[in-house]
Amino acid sequence: MADAVFLALSVITIGSAIAALELRSLIYGSIALMGTLGGIAGFFLLLDSPFVAMFQLAVYVGSIAVLILFTVMLVKRELIFKKVEDKRRKFVGIALMLVLMVALGSVIMDSGIKTITTDEPAVDFRNIGADFLTYYWPALILMALILTGSVTGALILARREDVENEQRTD
Amino acid sequence: MSVIAPNFKFSEFVKSILDNIFWILLIFVLIGLPAVFIILFYIEMPVINGELLTPFLALTWLADPSRTLPILKAFMTTDLFRIAAFPGFGFAALLAAGTIFIERKMLAKLQLRVGPFYCGKIEGILQLMGDGLKLISKEIIIPAKADKPIFWAAPIIFVATAAAFVALIPVAPGWVVADVDVGLLAVFAIIGFFPIITILSAWSSNSKFPFIGGIRALHQMVSFEIPLILSLLGVVILTGTLNLSEIVASQTNFPWIIFLPIGAIIFFITILAELERIPFDLPEAESEIVAGWLTEFSGMIYGLVQLGTYLKLYAFAALFVVLFLGGWTGPMIWPPFPEEIITDGIVIGPIHAKIPGLPVFSQEMLNGVLWFVIKTVGVIFFILLPRGVFPRIRIDMLLSLGWYKLIGLAFVNIFIALGLLYAGVLGPGGIL
Repeated sequence: MADAVFLALSVITIGSAIAALELRSLIYGSIALMGTLGGIAGFFLLLDSPFVAMFQLAVYVGSIAVLILFTVMLVKRELIFKKVEDKRRKFVGIALMLVLMVALGSVIMDSGIKTITTDEPAVDFRNIGADFLTYYWPALILMALILTGSVTGALILARREDVENEQRTD
Repeated sequence: MSVIAPNFKFSEFVKSILDNIFWILLIFVLIGLPAVFIILFYIEMPVINGELLTPFLALTWLADPSRTLPILKAFMTTDLFRIAAFPGFGFAALLAAGTIFIERKMLAKLQLRVGPFYCGKIEGILQLMGDGLKLISKEIIIPAKADKPIFWAAPIIFVATAAAFVALIPVAPGWVVADVDVGLLAVFAIIGFFPIITILSAWSSNSKFPFIGGIRALHQMVSFEIPLILSLLGVVILTGTLNLSEIVASQTNFPWIIFLPIGAIIFFITILAELERIPFDLPEAESEIVAGWLTEFSGMIYGLVQLGTYLKLYAFAALFVVLFLGGWTGPMIWPPFPEEIITDGIVIGPIHAKIPGLPVFSQEMLNGVLWFVIKTVGVIFFILLPRGVFPRIRIDMLLSLGWYKLIGLAFVNIFIALGLLYAGVLGPGGIL
């Protein structure tokens, strides 16, 4: 059962990833990207970590995919993309990807990950939270600072001072 | 003199009957028997009264009254029943249909109108059925330059997502379709899908008004999702769990609205915004942009979107009940099942009819469902009420409300919850 689900999820994830790269229509491409991200959430579910899976769905599918869709719909395609394509680039790209995948795969296979078998129950999300606040607190603070910095930067970049709103009365 | 069938020939008549018999036999052999075998091989049939239920004896099930109720009870424990009928889709759709009628009637009364009146004898009670028949029988018109696959898929995915939301709501102790450990997070994940569906359907219809409505819906939903999530964190902090059933079970003594009224108010306002209801109905503002992102929908596609919207309304109201009003908890007001019917059976004069399998539902479950429905209907009433009272607000006011005021208040709510927790009043190991 789990194997069949795993196979189906792999096909969905990889297939929609390829579709996201190859489709001509940007909207369909971003829908396919959503399929990829949702497939990864499915992998997390198979790995007995529904907490991470739900965050994957909420953050990646729910927010980031929406941002991508929003951008794609509102920006003229000709402004951001110049079509530089020929067959040779494509084949070189595919070959490069295959080489990378084979290299990474062999490294992972050699690392002894195949011999690990465990019956331990899945990690409770309460433990994740406790670890974040005790042992890993510097990382948490650092992440928070980086996020705050990026949000502030985005707000400053998005600010326009030339717009006068004379309709506002409040 | 006219003849009913001028070309009648007896041989043709016999031939048509033989034809029908042939096709019925063929379809039965090709579909009916394999179906029986599929059921036999793959579906675990329950044991009723000490003998296995076999699909071969399907007709005798009806003839044996002593087995009817046990079969019904066995069916009610299956996943299919839970998903399709009781805590899942059917129950929610029934409440949603009731909501549509009540909304129209109540709005009319608030505005000194009559509302639906002619369909059905009493107060237009069959209006909903009439509307449904009209929607089903109307043609589905697709705009010429629409993106057809997305345009077709969006309403269906909308209903499916709303149904997935409904599946997470616990209705009575043990009666929930999907009792997941991270239920509240699953709710957040599912809520995140609605803006995508909205914007995709708006874009796919390739028309101005839907697109403006879709962009507005996206703005609104994305900006109100954050205070929605933050306002619920107070409850999570105090209960220490994300499982919705456990959150309800933690409220047997008092509902959380007593201690977290600010969170409840924020959640209620964000519900109004997520459901695109007045005063936040900018995505469907009918006086500005026709019908917003629903403009190009017609026929049953529109019906599906409406069904999904009202399922979503039920689910949000039920979530409010589960998180802040104590879900199914309440004093026992449902009368117990009469004991003598279980022991002696029904006695009518000389006839004793003993019915095995009673009672079908336990008293706790019926009482829980009663309280849950009462509370949910109350919350739905308060969600409907602003529609008769308030005007629509401006979009910049909406965004500033969402981003500045509600998020600030949500943090106040979180600090109240943390204060209660660390003061040792509530939460794990608290006084109360």
